[in-house]
Amino acid sequence: MAKEDLTNSNKKKIAFPIAARYNYAVKYFVEAGLEQQYIMQPRMTRKTLDIGSQYSPDTVCTPFKTTLGSLIEALECGADTLLMFFGYCRLGYYGELQEQILRDLGYEFDFINMAEYTTGKSRDYLKVVKRMCPKPHVAKATVAGMEMIKMVEYIDEVEELYYQNCGFELTKGAYRKALNQFYNDLDRVASRGDIEAAHQRVKSAFHEIPLKKEEPLRVGLIGEYFTVQDDFSNLELEQKLADMGVEVHRWMNLSHRNLHYSGEKNLNVRIRDLCRYEMGPTSTANIWCARDYAERGFDGIIHVKSAGCTPEIDVMPVLQNIGADYKIPILYLTYDSQASDTGLMTRLEAFYDMLSMRKKVIR
Amino acid sequence: MPDKKSAGAAGRKLIIGLPRALLYDRYRVLWKTFFTELGTDLLVSPPTTLETLNRGTAIAIDEMCLSVKIYLGHVEKLVGNCDYILVPRISNFGIRRYMCTTFEGLFDICGNLFRRTGQKFLSYNIDVTHGLDEESAFVSMAAELGFGKKAASKAYKKAKKAEAEDWKNQVKRQEALYKQDGLKVMIAGHSYVENDAYIGKPVTDFLKSAQVTVLRADVMDRKNALKQGSRLSPTMRWEISREIAGGIYENRKRVDGIILLSVFPCGPDAMTNDMIIRRNDGTPILNLMLDGQSGMAGVETRLESFVDILNFHKNT
Repeated sequence: MAKEDLTNSNKKKIAFPIAARYNYAVKYFVEAGLEQQYIMQPRMTRKTLDIGSQYSPDTVCTPFKTTLGSLIEALECGADTLLMFFGYCRLGYYGELQEQILRDLGYEFDFINMAEYTTGKSRDYLKVVKRMCPKPHVAKATVAGMEMIKMVEYIDEVEELYYQNCGFELTKGAYRKALNQFYNDLDRVASRGDIEAAHQRVKSAFHEIPLKKEEPLRVGLIGEYFTVQDDFSNLELEQKLADMGVEVHRWMNLSHRNLHYSGEKNLNVRIRDLCRYEMGPTSTANIWCARDYAERGFDGIIHVKSAGCTPEIDVMPVLQNIGADYKIPILYLTYDSQASDTGLMTRLEAFYDMLSMRKKVIR
Repeated sequence: MPDKKSAGAAGRKLIIGLPRALLYDRYRVLWKTFFTELGTDLLVSPPTTLETLNRGTAIAIDEMCLSVKIYLGHVEKLVGNCDYILVPRISNFGIRRYMCTTFEGLFDICGNLFRRTGQKFLSYNIDVTHGLDEESAFVSMAAELGFGKKAASKAYKKAKKAEAEDWKNQVKRQEALYKQDGLKVMIAGHSYVENDAYIGKPVTDFLKSAQVTVLRADVMDRKNALKQGSRLSPTMRWEISREIAGGIYENRKRVDGIILLSVFPCGPDAMTNDMIIRRNDGTPILNLMLDGQSGMAGVETRLESFVDILNFHKNT
């Protein structure tokens, strides 16, 4: 056996900021598709946010701070190549500023900023891949890319099921156990077969768990792409709601917003009377989604965003009108680097009490 | 009753309201020429006062930036006094030439916040990555008002020419200022902040009273500004921020100091100002954030000490 197979000495050590649970999929692509090493930094903690905030501009949005903290933790875990995603708001400028901050701090690394590859040509993707792996096995990488997408879909599907049901299990903790097992499995998948097996396993585990669900409160979550999806960033909002006995729905995830997005035009059809143009990268989806929840008779909506998220602030006037038109309560949550569990719990409990009293009255 | 002096769809001239805030400063010549050519009347809201800000703050979502609050105050002033209020929707001018997302949403923000008033809003939509350029946007806006394509196209071309002429003059005047002696300070900020009568003007007035020549970073040839901006920061994605960064990059050695003037909490500025400071190579910089608090004492103290430092710097 060749020595470098054990030490991985000739491989790049690639890392990606922690973003919900999608890191498992990135890891799979890097290791199975590009045959490089993936460095998985620990899940984010308060410390991550503190380090990130310390070096970030004050009024930048919170995901900038958490992802910066997460990149620093990755470097300290031994990563030598950082991959940074981009988006159509300030997210599109995260990469360059974060690289500058990290360089100013004195870290040494190779930085792959996907925002540099946004000329609109599909060759851009290949260029990004080549930065991670100079001589990629194209067929292998393509297959792994498809399998990575499959993984993302499974993660989203499983989490949707989880948060809609875990509040109603008869044996406390049964759902969490199955979900943790799923995450564990995803961390170790090496082939398409493993991915399918992990998916099957969690689905049948969920299926076995007995539920007691009688006319539960249904709450829909909408809001800023990163904060609404990442459980650290939203202080486990979904889990907290589920623990109160709420059926939690969240449309916003990578599968719906990116992989199977029906497009601004098609979503706009049903909200045309509320807004004429696309107001920001996820605005159309959120407005559409809020109206959809309202029309489907949900008990309440929670709008989640990080402090200073301009596009989400800008859709609030529209959401207020939806709230007034459909008489549906909407709780607006803003997360900054000071947000605390207690503050959130107080607001959630009050919201929950209001919703349940309301349900009794109007029924 | 509308008087029937002149022809028009309603038997009189249409009145288009222009809020004197946000992009008004940038596009005032373009808008005014275009609508005058088409033959509509214009109503511009009066300059910002404390009352404008207070009214706007009452209407706005708490977390919106100061400039948007001021804008909403101006819109409120126009509501009910004109047929349409112009609120353009500008997403981008091409790849990496985006506007702050607020300009994408502004039309619908106004539409929703002022829904109960029944006020009609007029918009043009620029979204070059989706094939909608400025000219076609203006033509379809004119069509909405009932004007033909030919007339609109002609008015647009004339307006564009007037705008270019006006800009050339502004650049020329600024070049003359660079040649003056004495302390020169460049203000780098959105034109709607610098030129706002209530928040930005006191800053420039104070500097002028301290015998400082005030220059604007973004007043230069726009194409070149964008090019220079990319040299300072290649993926800077906002058109106006890039023009400002380009101005700083091009002219930083011709001034004694730079003031980064922004409003709380400006999204793009939060990041670009940090980048400008990190990549600065020796020109003194003051990072000044305006938060709409009444009373200038705090701002004046900071400006005064900055000017003192620059004077000290220059004399040694």
